[in-house]
Amino acid sequence: MSGDDGAGDAVVAYRDRFARLLRGPARARARLVEEVADGFADTVRAWRAAGFDEAGAARRAEAEFGTPEEVAASCQRELTLAQVRHTAGVVASTAPLPLACWYLLGQAETARDGWLPQSAQALAAGLAGVAGVAALGALLALAVTGRASRWLSVPRRLPDAVGWLGTAASGAMAGSALALTVAAALATHWPLVALAGVASAACHAGVAPSARACRRQPRVADPA
Amino acid sequence: MKADAVRGHLDGLLLAVLEEGPLHGYAIITAVQRRSGGALDLRTGTIYPALNRLERQGLLASDWESTGERRRRSYRLTDSGRAGLAERRADWRAFTSAIGAVLDPAPGSAT
Repeated sequence: MSGDDGAGDAVVAYRDRFARLLRGPARARARLVEEVADGFADTVRAWRAAGFDEAGAARRAEAEFGTPEEVAASCQRELTLAQVRHTAGVVASTAPLPLACWYLLGQAETARDGWLPQSAQALAAGLAGVAGVAALGALLALAVTGRASRWLSVPRRLPDAVGWLGTAASGAMAGSALALTVAAALATHWPLVALAGVASAACHAGVAPSARACRRQPRVADPA
Repeated sequence: MKADAVRGHLDGLLLAVLEEGPLHGYAIITAVQRRSGGALDLRTGTIYPALNRLERQGLLASDWESTGERRRRSYRLTDSGRAGLAERRADWRAFTSAIGAVLDPAPGSAT
């Protein structure tokens, strides 16, 4: 933002202070920062048009618009929920994949009379259980934070809950990847098993950082 | 009118100013201030998370719009938003009617 548009460096300084205070998914955070900085710039311009110099306009704009701390405090709730929804979305869309891999591999091995070892089957059942519960929990979190939040209050500890759910799903995916790698050595369809292991590892890599970010979010505050 | 008094009604105010058509954030702020005659003491920056929340709840939809070199997010009411606004108006009328009947009773009815 240049000084020529009537807003100037004050807007850049406001935007930078504001951005530093927010935690959340990059895209949602960038959108809020852009919108808020744009609104602040408009407010500064309005005071400039009323005859104030840049410093005076910036002071009055901040008094009217809210300090970066005030505005960030009211925005953080939305960013926290954006992180919850992002993590829940990643878990809901990836957790069923290892489940599907184990199922398809079981089918393929059975067809060839070379069913995976008992230990692999037991492990698959356990991991499938964890992944299934995580996927259902994630879907529930998406529902509670979406349209239903008009009527339902969002639990304050939801970020923790979804973060740990994601961590559990991510652990199940890592376990699945490891087990599939070992099973690949024993299975008839070893390239298929190895591919499923790679897919599980990729899912783990997608879920783990998001789950960690979700656990680090503050608890959900009441709406402003 | 202090911000505390406005809290609880902000969603209705935002939905109402978008009834006539899409607006971007600052235009929504100025529309609320203009319609209220400047009587509402709002920290105007706090309407942005409220707009995000209403969008998440399906009451608003938004798109980026470019005007020259500027890119702005423009908000519009969804069908659910129109229904939500009608509901809030009905609640507000019932509320003001009930409170008004107590605070400012018609002559002869204050028993």
